[in-house]
Amino acid sequence: MSTWGADDPSEETLLEEVRAAAPEPKIQIRNLNFHYGKLRALKDVTVNFDARVITAIIGPSGCGKSTLLRVMNRIYALYPGQSATGEVLLDGEDILDKSYPLGRLRARVGMVFQKATPFHMSIFENVAFPLRHYEKLSKAEQAARVERALRQAALWDEVKDKLKQSALALSGGQQQRLCIARTLAVSPEVLLLDEPTSSLDPISTAKIEELLSQLSVDYKVIIVTHNLQQAARVSNQVAFMFEGEMIECGSHEQIFLHPKEQKTSDYVTGRFG
Amino acid sequence: MNLIILRRRIANGVALCLSAMATLFGLFWLVWILWTTVSKGAAALKPRLFTQMTPPPGSDGGLLNAFYGSFVMIVMAVALATPVGVLAAIWLAEFARGNRIGAVIRFINDILLSAPSIVIGLFVYELVVRPQGHFSGYAGALALAIILLPVIVRTSDEALRLVPAPMREAGLALGLPHWRVTSKVLMRAASAGIITGLLLGIARISGETAPLLFTALNNQYWSADPKAPLANVPVVIFQYALSPYDRWQSLAWAGALVVTVFVLLLGIAARLLFKQRSTR
Repeated sequence: MSTWGADDPSEETLLEEVRAAAPEPKIQIRNLNFHYGKLRALKDVTVNFDARVITAIIGPSGCGKSTLLRVMNRIYALYPGQSATGEVLLDGEDILDKSYPLGRLRARVGMVFQKATPFHMSIFENVAFPLRHYEKLSKAEQAARVERALRQAALWDEVKDKLKQSALALSGGQQQRLCIARTLAVSPEVLLLDEPTSSLDPISTAKIEELLSQLSVDYKVIIVTHNLQQAARVSNQVAFMFEGEMIECGSHEQIFLHPKEQKTSDYVTGRFG
Repeated sequence: MNLIILRRRIANGVALCLSAMATLFGLFWLVWILWTTVSKGAAALKPRLFTQMTPPPGSDGGLLNAFYGSFVMIVMAVALATPVGVLAAIWLAEFARGNRIGAVIRFINDILLSAPSIVIGLFVYELVVRPQGHFSGYAGALALAIILLPVIVRTSDEALRLVPAPMREAGLALGLPHWRVTSKVLMRAASAGIITGLLLGIARISGETAPLLFTALNNQYWSADPKAPLANVPVVIFQYALSPYDRWQSLAWAGALVVTVFVLLLGIAARLLFKQRSTR
């Protein structure tokens, strides 16, 4: 049943190479606890995410995967009653520190959500409007940057003739790629994806997965998914969570073929979840 | 077994009959009102209705000054209430979420929404008309604005809160400040609801009579001066319908018909706009 990584023995070496090139992990999480009111959703999570690899966070529903993702750009801060304690270091700086500016954090750590959220404006404006917030660009530069972002998100060829049309007329898969383009346009260093393909058809899903492997050259990509095959297909590093705890994090061979923890083994072999 | 099915069929038939009768009973009055308005109003619906002033008893005329006065006061009320109402709604929906003061203000706004319009008329009478010593179009516009305000706050607040949370999060996740996400992303997504609410609010105030009796009063002559008493359709309808003169009575019906059609058109426009905007 499992050919995960079996024909691709270089994953472990890739992770080692990456660590040798950049010994400091991109994101280090230490003793992170998270509360929705009184409910404790993350329990002493400690984990490192390496730069320039794709990390997949897997686990059953309600295990805290999305919560962990939502801490990394502090989007939870929108809701009173949600709070995080512990440390989340991005290149060594603690982003949970109240003095860390939210605007700067979110420019460095972009996020794409489960449901595509095109803004009620043209396709072009969807990408150009956030861009204008950060940089003063001439019309021509703006057009070039929008084109680059749409190409990166593998959407350009499908929309180049209708940039002025409303983004709401696009298909679900196109809308999701537009959201990725919009996020890429502001050049983040880390890209968080919260089950980005869970409401998409297989063809759109394949397009987005293909896109992710290209993106990992320039970006640190962290994807939450409860589709194990997807995690196996797209990621180099896999983190398994269960009931708010980080059970195990390692190369995908380790998690899928030689897990150290019984729970991981039970989950990836389909005994629960 | 068959008995149970039969019993259910009978219960179903009876319930269906009762609800159909209730619907027809409600619609019956509506159709009757519309029919009376149309049949009586259509007789006086001549071009001079829109070109001549309100006439003295016994001669022909139109309602031009009343239409003009109503138009001016509604425009002023909208100009006063819309910015205040929309800004208040933005604060309530975006910046006072899960906040006690927000909840209290929302509750007070709902009370204002259902306040009898005569109370608001009396309030503006005490506040503006008595100190000034005379009725005025400005006072009328103020009374209408106070009636319109809670409608706008309520509908805009609802429209903004109906914008899906991921939309707000997606804007903020791009690192944009909250005010910018609100003005560029959320307001656009909520615009159909906000404009619909405004149109329905205008429909509501265009028939208000009680507050205008206390504030703008009426004016038999042409006057474009909002500092003076201003003619308006609802009060003219009130006075003419109660008068003993046939011509005045038929003018009142014509005025009622115009207001009804205006409100109907606003309602249809609101629906079309909402449909078109929310699918685009």
